[in-house]
Amino acid sequence: MSTQIEVRKVVKSFERGGQTLRVLDALDLQIEEGSFDALMGPSGSGKSTLLNLIAGLDRPTSGEVIVAGASLGQMSEAAQATWRSRTLGFIFQSYNLIPVLTAQENVELPLLLTNLSSAERKRRSETALRVVGLEQRMGHLPRMLSGGQEQRVAIARAIVNDPAVIVADEPTGDLDRQSADDILTLLQKLNTELGKTILMVTHDPMAAERAKTVHRLDKGRLA
Amino acid sequence: MTLLGLSARNALRNRLRTGLTVLAVAVALVAFVMLRTVVWAYTIAGDVAANDRVVSRHKVTFVMLLPKKYAAQVAAQPGVSQVTWANWFGGKDPKHDKEFFAALAVDPATYLDVYDEMKVTPEEKAAWQADRRGCVVGDVLAKKLGWKKGDRIVLESQFIQGQFEMHVSAIYTATRKSVDRNTLIFHWEYMNEAAGPVRDQIGWITSRVKDPARTADIGRAIDKAFDDNDVQTLSQSERAFNQSFVGMFSAILRAIDLVSVVLLGIMMLVLGNTIAMGVRERTQEYGALRALGFLPKHLVLFVLGEAVTIGVAGGVLGLALSYPIVERGMGRFLEENMGGFFPYFRISGGVAATAIALSVLLGVLAAVVPAWQTTRIKVVDALRRIA
Repeated sequence: MSTQIEVRKVVKSFERGGQTLRVLDALDLQIEEGSFDALMGPSGSGKSTLLNLIAGLDRPTSGEVIVAGASLGQMSEAAQATWRSRTLGFIFQSYNLIPVLTAQENVELPLLLTNLSSAERKRRSETALRVVGLEQRMGHLPRMLSGGQEQRVAIARAIVNDPAVIVADEPTGDLDRQSADDILTLLQKLNTELGKTILMVTHDPMAAERAKTVHRLDKGRLA
Repeated sequence: MTLLGLSARNALRNRLRTGLTVLAVAVALVAFVMLRTVVWAYTIAGDVAANDRVVSRHKVTFVMLLPKKYAAQVAAQPGVSQVTWANWFGGKDPKHDKEFFAALAVDPATYLDVYDEMKVTPEEKAAWQADRRGCVVGDVLAKKLGWKKGDRIVLESQFIQGQFEMHVSAIYTATRKSVDRNTLIFHWEYMNEAAGPVRDQIGWITSRVKDPARTADIGRAIDKAFDDNDVQTLSQSERAFNQSFVGMFSAILRAIDLVSVVLLGIMMLVLGNTIAMGVRERTQEYGALRALGFLPKHLVLFVLGEAVTIGVAGGVLGLALSYPIVERGMGRFLEENMGGFFPYFRISGGVAATAIALSVLLGVLAAVVPAWQTTRIKVVDALRRIA
């Protein structure tokens, strides 16, 4: 197993009201390829900030973040966006599906950034929906789906471009217990059967139990 | 699915808001088309004027008269094939004294030959020429005042005392859209008998030239022929002559232009407001799209595509509404009641194309600021709104 995500001496500070707020404090973290890790911690502990740095959505004040062999700090913003579209799958707490697109079209969305033909994009998005068990809901708009089903569509969208890493920010935060269990089972399946490296931020201890490794953050450091 | 298709479908997210915006754009566009059609219809007389006619009038002003003998001298100019003349009679029917129409005292032997776009049958023409009290009336005017061929009518003049009894010899139609079908013409001699101090004076002379390319040269030659006389002439092509009338109303036309621009501004603000609201509501979603790998240029495309879709929908609806409103309602009314100013009140192809092009252009302009705002979205801040 090789290291898929490496965080080296990362510091992230924000200016707030004339004061410097150090959210991540010389943090080191390594996540192996094919692992399923959870990041836990109280509000303000820096877990979402760390996830943003790993996803290439933000830059550290100092230190280095290397994901799937790419050092993100040396990339331009456009290069980071292209890298994200090829390497990362995102799962958000609020699903962020486009309401005027069907489930299949929502899943197809990241593939619009590729050179794939329309037929190939459709085929891949349908396959992704089959993986998450929504082959019967391909033509449904998001408003016709339950919260759990919407999150499944979002997971299909996250895997449609076959990413090396999936990052999930509170993926069960808006779901009832049963739907949350279903989503976590699906994430486990993506990890074990498809070998995806998953990093999940969560407040929920029951969700964290499904991960292979749990990292606890407190005041910008791993506890 | 394509990026452009997605941007167009975004317009359907809030159907009520989009529907109201499309309606607002359509209403503004109907008003715009109406105003542009007023300007176009008013200026068309110049644009569609005959290119082989020269109009000569008093050099000082149109309201001053020329000696009638000038007509024969103009006819003798090289290159002139036919000549006719006319006077503004300022006539009205005492039974319909609120109805304005042009009444011209003309030379019956030549007028319908020089103005051959006024159509009557050869028999009617001959009957009119033979009847000293005969007149020829435009079909729109005849319909409006209930006149029929053979009717006896009485006119009074603003300039000459007395009543002028006439017979309707013919009803003319038009073969050219610039012709005012709201005009009455009658024998110049009949008017001249009662003209008193302005006897043997004519308002203007119209010459038909053999070579339309020499219109300007012939006009200059005519004027030169009268240079040493007490009364000098100003000769212009019919187009320039008609446009000099348009020029008299240039302030009004400029005001209409200004109102048209204001309308376009309102249309753009309505559209811009809708787009800006949509962008503000979708900040989180744009953050998510950026996280998925979409670039700022893609977000700009989404915003522009949505704005253009709404703009074009409003433009097409507005234009579709404009045709019945302008052509069947307003146009018919103006042609029948103000035919002197608007002989042909229709939406021109140019106005229609301009309206659609502007709806696209204004859509783009309305989206510039909201689109720019999407490029400034910080992904992390946008996503933070979600959690």
